[in-house]
Amino acid sequence: MSLQALAGNRSFLSLLFGALLVLPAFANEYWLFVGNLMLVYIILALGLNILVGFAGQLAFANAAIYGIGAYGTALLQVHQGWSFWAAAPVGAVLAMVIGTLLAFPALRLSGIFLALATLAFAQATQWVLWHWESVTFGAGGFRVPAPNFGWLPVKGDYGVYFLSLAAALVLLLFAWRITRSRIGRAFVAMRDGEIAAQALGIDLLTYKAMAFALSSFYAGIAGALYSGLLGFVSPEGFDLFQMIIQKAMIVVGGLGSVVGSVIGASLLVYLMEILREFKSTQEIVFGCLLVCFMIFQPHGLVVSMKRWLPGWEEPLHLVGRVAADASTRSGSYKGATPTERRAVERA
Amino acid sequence: MLMLSYLMATGITTGAFYALVALGIVIVYKSTEVVNLAHGELFMVGGMLAYTCYVMAGIPYIPSLVLAVAGAFVVGILTERIAYRPVLQHGLASVLVATIGVSFILKGIGRHIWGGKGDYLAFPPIVSPEPIEFGNIMIMSQQLVVLLAAMSVMAGLALFFKCTRAGKWMQATASNPKAAMLCGLRIDRIYMYTFAVGAAAAGAAGVLMAPLTHLYPDVGFVLFIKGLAAAVLGGLTSIPGAVLGGLLLGVIEQLAAGYVHSSVQDVVPFLIIMLALSLLPTGLLGARGLRKV
Amino acid sequence: MNRLAITLCAAASVATAIAAAGAQATDVVGVTDTEIKVGSFGPLTGPVYIYGKLAMNGIEVYFNKLNQGGGVQGRKLVLVREDDSCKPEGAIAAVKKLVYDHKVFAIIGGGCSNSTLAARPEIEKAGVPFHVVSAVADGIVDPPLANIYTTQLTATIESEAQVQWAVEHGAKKLAIIAQHDAWGRSRYEPMLQDFKRRGLQVIADEEVTVDQNDGTAQALRLKSSGADAVMLVGYPKAAAVMIRDSIKIGYKPLWIGQTAIQDLPALHNMIGIGGALSDFVTITTVPGHPDNKEYAEWRERLKDTFPNDDLSVFNLMGIGAAEVFAKVLDTAGKDLTREKFLAAYDTIDNFKSSIYPGPITCKGRHKCNQSPAFVKLENNSVVSAGTIALK
Repeated sequence: MSLQALAGNRSFLSLLFGALLVLPAFANEYWLFVGNLMLVYIILALGLNILVGFAGQLAFANAAIYGIGAYGTALLQVHQGWSFWAAAPVGAVLAMVIGTLLAFPALRLSGIFLALATLAFAQATQWVLWHWESVTFGAGGFRVPAPNFGWLPVKGDYGVYFLSLAAALVLLLFAWRITRSRIGRAFVAMRDGEIAAQALGIDLLTYKAMAFALSSFYAGIAGALYSGLLGFVSPEGFDLFQMIIQKAMIVVGGLGSVVGSVIGASLLVYLMEILREFKSTQEIVFGCLLVCFMIFQPHGLVVSMKRWLPGWEEPLHLVGRVAADASTRSGSYKGATPTERRAVERA
Repeated sequence: MLMLSYLMATGITTGAFYALVALGIVIVYKSTEVVNLAHGELFMVGGMLAYTCYVMAGIPYIPSLVLAVAGAFVVGILTERIAYRPVLQHGLASVLVATIGVSFILKGIGRHIWGGKGDYLAFPPIVSPEPIEFGNIMIMSQQLVVLLAAMSVMAGLALFFKCTRAGKWMQATASNPKAAMLCGLRIDRIYMYTFAVGAAAAGAAGVLMAPLTHLYPDVGFVLFIKGLAAAVLGGLTSIPGAVLGGLLLGVIEQLAAGYVHSSVQDVVPFLIIMLALSLLPTGLLGARGLRKV
Repeated sequence: MNRLAITLCAAASVATAIAAAGAQATDVVGVTDTEIKVGSFGPLTGPVYIYGKLAMNGIEVYFNKLNQGGGVQGRKLVLVREDDSCKPEGAIAAVKKLVYDHKVFAIIGGGCSNSTLAARPEIEKAGVPFHVVSAVADGIVDPPLANIYTTQLTATIESEAQVQWAVEHGAKKLAIIAQHDAWGRSRYEPMLQDFKRRGLQVIADEEVTVDQNDGTAQALRLKSSGADAVMLVGYPKAAAVMIRDSIKIGYKPLWIGQTAIQDLPALHNMIGIGGALSDFVTITTVPGHPDNKEYAEWRERLKDTFPNDDLSVFNLMGIGAAEVFAKVLDTAGKDLTREKFLAAYDTIDNFKSSIYPGPITCKGRHKCNQSPAFVKLENNSVVSAGTIALK
């Protein structure tokens, strides 16, 4: 391995995960919790970036799918008495199935219209979580038994931590492989020009469904881990605010970059905990940070990483292509020429 | 029958709220193709400024309204220059995150300055707070004020975009910024004034609706979501669409709450949106988008 | 860009250092010869910040007063705040931070029911004494734990009191209108249980949301059910909107509220219609109104420390809790340990608080406040409407 390749995204990831691996040895309970939270958000960000950054689908339903994963896992444990190890995969698959159904509206809608349709779905999901009290226990939430680690060497909080670490690692490698495969290239082709992609023989429904399925599966797994981490499940953890934070993570990290997701998620979780010092003015400081990130690094931190670390490759990173390409800008006016738009536009 | 009249009337009056918020969203979108996610907070800022002038400082109503709207206008200019201008050319996702950041800042400032004064701040209405008779039902006079305001703003904006040069400049900039620049338009100025006008509209809505929605730092959020839903339902670039979407949303919400059960009030609008967007991907009155090859 | 990154990194490191520092080595966690570190968690940001931030402001004002007089047993009280954003994740993180990072002696706080419930196992595991200030869910203190006490009227007590008032005042057809969020549910469910226990039928069961701007649909449904008394389980905006629109359609039942809407003059202002609250009673945390002269001292002190704030019931909730907390601390003596502190709660028997209307008794129980007092609005001033004995 050349020296140049050493300073690249692979090394960065190894360093980060190495640090997370040894964290339990140094950290007190609080920082262990924060680290675990970071891992859950890394998984969420990886999934969301596949959908929004690579496949270009501006969907706002991820937090709701995350909730479905958490609720699915927890309810199977509480209502049916399943163990965590059986309930978690089923919860994740349930999230994946429901999330994939969103690919259908995604066929007809794009940009802000898709954003709104998925947002409406998310709000409807919140409503169901609140009102289907016989199943979901309503807005008051419910307690979940801790995962039983049985014969494994780690227990309790440490058990959940290492489980999250393992899951994050596996899902990271999976995302890495997928994005560098034919599927990843199809996603990016879709993102950069749907009609051109179709002309190349890429079936939009199949690949959109795949993108939604992948991001929903990731969100479902994250939800299962989250329910195990908190030991309590309630609707407010999966609301619009959560969705906004997830979106911010992938934009700050870098759309269309696997490592960007990791950077964005860990950085934002860390920052939000550090911001506790600001007590009541947290919101103002957080807002300023977001604005600063956007002013100085609108395409995500991977841009700087690429510049500083010579071995950093980011082939599919979405650098908001020049303003002339309307497809990255907004919804209904995707690509119409000015003359066409004026003819069609009604005041 | 009485119940139906009441529900329809309530639907139209709450729909007017959503319409007024939606109009502000549409103004900004028409010129910049950006949805300002801080719109709800601008609404709150307008209301709070009016509260400070009218209730705390005792300035009479009309000057307070003017000051509040002017204040919101200034906030709009500041946020555009500081937070949005550097980001506008970098893609929708980055701009959205910048607007999210601004919404946090404004909300935090609102909480810091006015949050300690109590739960919800009461704002006296322009005319008497007693309900007035309208046919065989009663409505609050302030609701009529909001309805009239929504209609006037809609008419004013429609005229503005159709008949004035400034309106045409804004549409041209939205269509094709490069061509607009070639024609000699200062597009950065136009963007700035667009955001400012949108902010002023939000502020005005905040002041007019404050007697009915009451004032608190989070008042803007739910109204923004519903207003956005109304705007998208109507077709994001259509001004009459925003009003139509708002009124429709209000009416459906109230009919569902009245005839089905009050618990469905919050979910029915979103179900309708999902349905409407599946059938009409660009909203009710939005232009049918063309796909460029 | 280089500069920005370096600045950000530096800022983050400094903040981390500040956060990690501040641990003092003592025999008893959080106690030194000169000070006691007391933690508090609750919403400082987000829509329900009043139950956290304002309550903590009240606690701080009370602690400042004590410290001016030399503190408790010669030790000054230092309040450390943490935000939980009213979310389970936030509360668990806040409690862990208070216990393991800040290493506080005890916690006085808890603003949101859901988040405090989620944090209960953490508090149990850590063994840190916890005095609940604003959160009302019964699950926080039920089943009782040795280290958790509350001076807030719990949801069950209030809901049962509301129903009892209706029954005692001759209502025949009782209806409920409630928020179905976590806060509302913590009251709604015990209320339904109480109805069942008394063999009463709920003639109408409507929902109202926190941000609702118009209550006409709900009012129409309540009116058509013929209810003559309505249990109002909502925050002030929902309540104001409901009452306003009920008057609009000519529906005037007996409204029975709870502590969230106890600020009657403010509620009256929000409704705007004269005489709107003529048929309205509510349970109260404080017997009068924050504007009354008996609270003048607190108003002064609050204005000194927090010039932007006006004295509100939420500040008083904090002050009331802090008063009991400080009394227990004092009783525990100079040789302070967590065990002695928790044991001292048993000495609080019929304590006459300067804030709460009823007696505070922690002896033999963990819900120290079980006396709901009712108030109503008469000639623009808040007067007592009576008390009831819960059956």
